[in-house]
Amino acid sequence: MNKTTEIVIVGAGAAGSMYAAMLAEAGKSVTVLEGGPPWRPADLYSSQQWARRLKWAEPHAEEPAGVSLWFNFNAGRGYGGAALHHFGVWPRFHEEDFKESSLYGKGIDWPLEYQDLRPYYDRVQADIGIAGDAEAEIWRPDGDPYPLPPVPRFAQGDILKKGFELRGMHTAPVPVAVLTRPYKGRSACLWDGWCEAGCPIGALGNPLVEYIPRAEKAGAVLQPHSQVTRILTDKRGRRATGVEYYDAQGERNELHAEFVVLAAFGIENCRILLNSASDRHPDGLANSSGLVGAYVMSHASANLFGMFDADTQNHMGLNGGQIINQDRFGKVRQDGPFGSRQFIAGLAVKPNDLLGIAMSRADLFGTKLDDFMHRAVRNMTNMVTISEDQPLRSNRIELSRHQDAHGLPLAKIVYKASPDALALWHDGVAEGKKILAAAGAKEIWNSPQGAQHIIGGTIMGDEPAESVTNKYSQTHDIDNLFIGGAGVFPTASAANPTFTLHATSMLSAEYLRDNFDSL
Amino acid sequence: MTTTRRSFIRGTGLGLLSFTVAGSAVMLTPRDARARGASFQVLNNEEVELTEAFGEALVPGARESGIAHFIDQQLSVDANDALLMIKYFNVQPPYVDFYRTGLTALNNYSRTVHDKPFTALDDETANALITTISNSIPEGWEGPPAPLFYLMMRSDAVDVVYGTVEGFERLGVPYRPHILPPDL
Repeated sequence: MNKTTEIVIVGAGAAGSMYAAMLAEAGKSVTVLEGGPPWRPADLYSSQQWARRLKWAEPHAEEPAGVSLWFNFNAGRGYGGAALHHFGVWPRFHEEDFKESSLYGKGIDWPLEYQDLRPYYDRVQADIGIAGDAEAEIWRPDGDPYPLPPVPRFAQGDILKKGFELRGMHTAPVPVAVLTRPYKGRSACLWDGWCEAGCPIGALGNPLVEYIPRAEKAGAVLQPHSQVTRILTDKRGRRATGVEYYDAQGERNELHAEFVVLAAFGIENCRILLNSASDRHPDGLANSSGLVGAYVMSHASANLFGMFDADTQNHMGLNGGQIINQDRFGKVRQDGPFGSRQFIAGLAVKPNDLLGIAMSRADLFGTKLDDFMHRAVRNMTNMVTISEDQPLRSNRIELSRHQDAHGLPLAKIVYKASPDALALWHDGVAEGKKILAAAGAKEIWNSPQGAQHIIGGTIMGDEPAESVTNKYSQTHDIDNLFIGGAGVFPTASAANPTFTLHATSMLSAEYLRDNFDSL
Repeated sequence: MTTTRRSFIRGTGLGLLSFTVAGSAVMLTPRDARARGASFQVLNNEEVELTEAFGEALVPGARESGIAHFIDQQLSVDANDALLMIKYFNVQPPYVDFYRTGLTALNNYSRTVHDKPFTALDDETANALITTISNSIPEGWEGPPAPLFYLMMRSDAVDVVYGTVEGFERLGVPYRPHILPPDL
């Protein structure tokens, strides 16, 4: 069946819901096609097992052996996308993150600077409600103070803060999109550590609590279980005319539109663009540069654990943590790797799941595991080191020869963390262990290298030959095709990307809204 | 939307798993399903016995907590709705293939090395075998990568033993739910 709308948005995650709200509120007819189910806050349980339903089962990507991008863990399924299970840690990118090439001869410059995004950061934080202490974040770039007071500290936060201080390092309350008091009719957090399972009370600022309700109130139509496989173009290949998708019954449909916003998830966006190849675009849509899929990045991370004599209350607080340290955010080190890294400490943790207590010692089983569990639930602390990855052209998304049920080729991930990221990871682990020792930990251990967040693949830039989109996330090749999400970031920073994703999406949605008739 | 913790806790009761007892479908926890002799949908008797023995060796209490019923029930539902941690590991559904070949590999390896099935091993021998498969793919192992199979079965056992309200209580840590979860 063929239908029409003014704007079709692919994906109901953080970027897609932002576009939907802003464009629907401007009176545009908006349809959002989401591949997964229509989650609502009442569908969310406080359970690590249940939280797995927020993620896909079928592989959408072929990943190389070893450390890769962890698509199935990082991506999201259904309304809210990956943001539905994200931890809500929202630091801003720093000014130097946007011009690493100009300043240091490394990385890739963005086509905009921090000051261009600053008003959008400020507006987003007022929309969503961010808790923090801007003055205590001595590393934070200019910006409005946070609208909400900072998160409270529980025992493990106090213990770890002391460890940082004894190492001569500064900490601040971690900035989070979590309500420390009621805000705009939403309830404040209960500090029970169930963020990863989705937040049924709406204290965590995910798409279900702000932009999806606004979009629907303004008349946007959200259509679940609708898997987009291709973007359609006119005969000359100059403009997008809509999308092909498969509905819940497995039927093929076309939705025709004046504008297409592709906001499915970084890797999924690449997959759909590459699968939209045609005679006019034999290498995939918006890919005249050959860079669709290129420069995919992640954050090399490790959890660092300490066992203490004291009760650490590690079940309390947020999965996102209690304190942040960005003393090592400066890009350049003498005889050291390039790039930023940060610590977030005091992460609430549960007994089970991939980031849970039991998995922190995956080597233990039987009575040794049981003994460990009884100690760790009381006395363990949890912190994470996050390292910046570098944009490498060799790290890329291609199409696999294998297809999903709708005939859409799987993404083939070709990725290896950059040498700088790996070196930063080792430095972060080593320094984290010293912090834990200073805090008085009796036992110290760390997780293997992980991959947090997926960034790049459709990067923005000024030059069409060197990037996929311009600074408004509008593709260079197709004027009425926009890309949403962290895929447009040319650099990864070490900061968690969700706040910046919202800021870039708001800027882009505003541009599309204000230039709707001329684009 | 202003919602109190109390009002959410009243909204419980969702999420018990569907089992068949004496021909009738009933909603139960895996522990209760085992206690009431719920029938299995996917696993055969040998696989059930092996799942329980391996699960118990990995996490004490897994047998009574209903690990075999949990895995069996989860293998019978749509993979996207499954609660198994295997979803994170890029394994192609249906997951029964992973579990079935893994269990077969475990028993075959045990027979090759010790001339008896895993269920007949004494604790010390079983622990040594588990240590081997937890960090390597031993010669003669034919199935999913042994460390991954170990990790998934261990995760399922952790889920049923520690990842429940009852499990939290045994560990001495409050569950503190916003909404009480499926009683896994």
